[in-house]
Amino acid sequence: MKISLNTIRAFNARYHCADDVLAIGTDQLMDRIGTQLGALEGFENYGLQFDGVLLVKVVVCKPHPDADKLHVCEIDDGGVAKAVERTEQGLVRVVCGAPNVREGLTAVWLPPGVTVPETAQKEPFVLTAKELRGVVSNGMLASARELGLSDDHEGIVEVDEQMTPGTTFVKAFDLEGDVVLDLENKMFTHRPDCFGFMGVARELAGIQGMAYKSPDWYKAHPEFLKPAGSTLALTVKNEIPQLVPRFMAITMDKVKVGTSPLWLQVELAKVGIKSINNIVDYTNFFMLETGQPMHAYDYDKVKALSSSEAAIVIRQPRAGEKIKLLNGKTIEPGRTAIMIATDQQLIGVGGVMGGSETEVDQKTERIILECANFDMYSIRRTSMAHGLFTDAVTRFTKGQSPLQCPAVLARVVNEIASTGNGQVAGEVIDDMHHDNTTNGETLHAPVEVSKGFINQRLGLDLDDQGIIKLLANVEFQIQPAHGALSVQAPFWRADIELKEDVVEEVGRLYGFDKLPLDLPKRDMTPIVPNALLHLKADARSLLSAAGANEVLTYSFVHGNLLDKVGQDKSQAYQLSNALSPDLQYYRLSLTPSLLNGVNANIKGGYSHFALFEIGKTHVLGKTEDDLPKEFERIALVIAADTKAAKAYFAGPAYYEAKYYLVALLEAFGLAGQIRFETLAEDDSDAAVACYAPGRAATVYAGQERLGRLGEYRAEVRAALKLPDFCAGFELGLTPLLAACQPKAYTPLSRFPKLSQDITLALPPEVTYKEVYDALADELEKRKPEQTLLGLTPVDIYQAEDTTKRHITLRLSVGSYKRTLKDDEVQAMLRAAAAALRENIRTEQV
Amino acid sequence: MIDEKLIDSLKQRAESGDRSVLRSSELKELFDALKSLPADERKDYGQAVNELRRELTELLSGAQAQRDTLPPIDVTAPFAPNTPSDKRPHLLPANHGSRHPLMTELDTILDIFYRMGFMAVESREIDDDFHMFGSLNFPEGHPARDDYDTFMTIQTDKNGQPFISPAHTSTMQHRLLSSQREQLEKGKPIAAVIPGRVFRNEDLDARHEHTFYQLEGVYVAEGVHTGQLIATLRTWLNSYYQKDVKVKMQPFYFPFTEPSFEFAASCIFCEQKGCNICSHTGWIELGGCGMIHPNVLKAADIDTERYSGFAWGFGIERLVMLKYNVEDVRYFEAARLDFLRQFT
Repeated sequence: MKISLNTIRAFNARYHCADDVLAIGTDQLMDRIGTQLGALEGFENYGLQFDGVLLVKVVVCKPHPDADKLHVCEIDDGGVAKAVERTEQGLVRVVCGAPNVREGLTAVWLPPGVTVPETAQKEPFVLTAKELRGVVSNGMLASARELGLSDDHEGIVEVDEQMTPGTTFVKAFDLEGDVVLDLENKMFTHRPDCFGFMGVARELAGIQGMAYKSPDWYKAHPEFLKPAGSTLALTVKNEIPQLVPRFMAITMDKVKVGTSPLWLQVELAKVGIKSINNIVDYTNFFMLETGQPMHAYDYDKVKALSSSEAAIVIRQPRAGEKIKLLNGKTIEPGRTAIMIATDQQLIGVGGVMGGSETEVDQKTERIILECANFDMYSIRRTSMAHGLFTDAVTRFTKGQSPLQCPAVLARVVNEIASTGNGQVAGEVIDDMHHDNTTNGETLHAPVEVSKGFINQRLGLDLDDQGIIKLLANVEFQIQPAHGALSVQAPFWRADIELKEDVVEEVGRLYGFDKLPLDLPKRDMTPIVPNALLHLKADARSLLSAAGANEVLTYSFVHGNLLDKVGQDKSQAYQLSNALSPDLQYYRLSLTPSLLNGVNANIKGGYSHFALFEIGKTHVLGKTEDDLPKEFERIALVIAADTKAAKAYFAGPAYYEAKYYLVALLEAFGLAGQIRFETLAEDDSDAAVACYAPGRAATVYAGQERLGRLGEYRAEVRAALKLPDFCAGFELGLTPLLAACQPKAYTPLSRFPKLSQDITLALPPEVTYKEVYDALADELEKRKPEQTLLGLTPVDIYQAEDTTKRHITLRLSVGSYKRTLKDDEVQAMLRAAAAALRENIRTEQV
Repeated sequence: MIDEKLIDSLKQRAESGDRSVLRSSELKELFDALKSLPADERKDYGQAVNELRRELTELLSGAQAQRDTLPPIDVTAPFAPNTPSDKRPHLLPANHGSRHPLMTELDTILDIFYRMGFMAVESREIDDDFHMFGSLNFPEGHPARDDYDTFMTIQTDKNGQPFISPAHTSTMQHRLLSSQREQLEKGKPIAAVIPGRVFRNEDLDARHEHTFYQLEGVYVAEGVHTGQLIATLRTWLNSYYQKDVKVKMQPFYFPFTEPSFEFAASCIFCEQKGCNICSHTGWIELGGCGMIHPNVLKAADIDTERYSGFAWGFGIERLVMLKYNVEDVRYFEAARLDFLRQFT
């Protein structure tokens, strides 16, 4: 929101509100705003663009000898402009094409060498002395558009104000050194009063410890001007008081709609509002001043649309009702919108935008001025539903105080009347539904809060007087009450309801940058570590040390990816409103996202790599407290292109992924408990869909099913352009955490260990694990007392064109009691082999 | 319409994996015949030929998959038969490995907070309206909700409200406060940090991600004041940057804190002399914070007369981008080894 510092200074001076709040200098003031009011988005030295622009009197105005529509003028600039060609009388010749140029007019002159203000922010256009049909024009007389004030280019600007020729534009309109601040809107979400520059002016005083006193006219119960002549009939019927707590209206007659005085146009232009006409501009200006939006209706148009006398009805729209808005669009408002209507048809969307059928235009002679208060939630819904974002919406959605309506309405009425632009034509209508227990003095009940509470929450040691002064500076009323302070917020403050709100106010006005910086004091009880987070950190360290690369991929995936890996989309939570088409579903497992990255990295020049991710997945289904189930997972994919697969690996990628998995699980103390079983055919888990049956396994640790390991189906490989050498695993971290064991230690033996190999020929249906387990069991049965056995694979051999494998295992034996002999170990192996032959039909080779 | 024998023979070729069937003269003739047909027959015939083509394509990809389907293996074995010992499964070289820079940074940050006595709780990635908004003092329909462009799901909770992809880690505050309330009764503080993924429904560019990481902090005890909030953030920053960093608080508005602030750290890159990184302001904006709103504490049944607390949240990506001069936020979730292997 834009605020001009010169406007604030002039306002404060005019109404004796405060000492000069700009005295500390703009830089300092901006710093204070940053620490005590909120962020500055930017600022602009608004006056700079009018550098060199002068007010002049048109002394001579004659038709151009060679052009019908042009005039040759001689203007008096008080001799101020330098280096400009002058007539003998010292006047400056300017050619002007405006229809309203005439002798005696005070106009705005852009001398040669001056940048046209309108172009200052775009492509600066610098004027020169230029010949127009044979007559040299020294610069130009400016229209409102060229000054950047409005879109009006019909004629040149006429200065009503009494001004000496040669006065600079900057001086005439108090733009010298003017800085327009752009304050961040968000921080004022609960400060509707700061959407008016008076509110900001008050804060600028408060944060500097200066007292502020609002102008006399800004009070809860102002006097309204009485009707000056005959009155205009108007009725107001509010059918939705719960949404419209206050609706005030007043009629005015003998209204002169025209161009606004220049000062008003400048004030609006400063903050980016274009001038429309004097009536609309006044309502806009007082909105900028107080934060209270208003609306002006053409009385006669309203009357014409009413059944007899002008009748305003505030209601919700009926089915199918439409309204044409001031922006030219026609909408069918939602059923809960607040509508302003006559007793026959809609004429405006309350608090959002007026209708075009009752617009004030150049012919308007009688008006209705509306100053009302609307429910912020309803305004927001309507604004969002129809994409209508107006200055009024910005203000009403912050929850303006209904208690300021009278003051603001009286103010605009007085201004129109005192400038001779209209006269009051009826008593003010005030339809008030706000629970007004304090007679309009404050919105919420006073807050009782103690000095101790405030000091405790801020870490300060203020006395009552200190607190009272800070708050009274911004016009709070404070009374002692029950050993505490009774703090009553002024009527325009909508945000003071709780003790904490008062704490915030005191802290801010005191200066949060001046608070004592103490750390909280606490005992030394250690915190409870988060086991899952630590497990993740350990897994991350382990896998990255094992040459794998951690990736993070989005939690959302495109439906295509789910299709490519054969996952069932109906199991996934689906997004309803994503801007990007790539984000359709919550991912069901991590693996597809990893696989999605494989081909790109191979093409990126990486021949072999392992990617892993630790993240959350979601599958349709809810927890006891009605929330979607969330799964903690870890997944790894290893891949190599054909060349690298041949150079570094042999055999299926499955075993490579398995090696990673075993390394990971052994690090978590699961060495003896890991089990791999062929994937169950009826496993409908979404995570299974990508794996190739026969080349994938379910992974267990004891009773916990940890996840799956394997290569991917041919269709998946084709769809994701995976290399042949590609496999991976995905585990649940919750079951892994449950299975984790402390590491086991085996005492060392003082005696030497013996090693012997045994080779067994396996029938095709017997698995490696069966042989290994059976052999380990038989050896265990036969081992000497107090010995330790170890059994590790040495080789697996399979002759071409056979299905029989030869497995060589190495037994290492060590005793805690004595040195073992080779032949007793050999005998043990033989006996075990014999037993195996009986049990699982393996042959010792 | 189309000769059955021809169909069968084409299908047989497709089944056998003969990819040339799609470009065969027979199929081409079938398509060419379309032009010479009377108008009223064209539609049905066209559909039939297209259907045939589709079936052939399907059979071909089935045949391909069949061919590509590899024989079963012994999943219990440690390696395949006849694997030479130098090509047995092995880990990749350690210097190829890398941890994701966001996770490394998060660990560094968490470590500081652990040392300061904060426990850690991870944030959810899908939540309900109550935790994301309701319990945080965002009334239904409040304009402050507009500041959060949240993703929503088609699926709903039992109240018919869509689930939400949390836009801030504050979505965990209510759970944390409720579950840790008994700490307060034991005279101990609630002190926790909440790392997690958060989501904003916006278009991607070099500076905007729809997915990013945040770290929330919560501290509640007796006698907690705003000065302690500032001191806590400053202490963390001093430890993180191993420098004396100043903290600036700018008043702000959040529904769930009162007072609310945006906080910034003095620019460590230029010692506040002004540089590109801090846009010549001398300050680097980091996140939001404030004193927890009494309505948030009350929602968790905490006595707001007795206890008060503060909370903060900041993004992790920005810290990493500042630290390494990363130019595009999208790289973090792009799974590109070019990027990742720089963080070995």
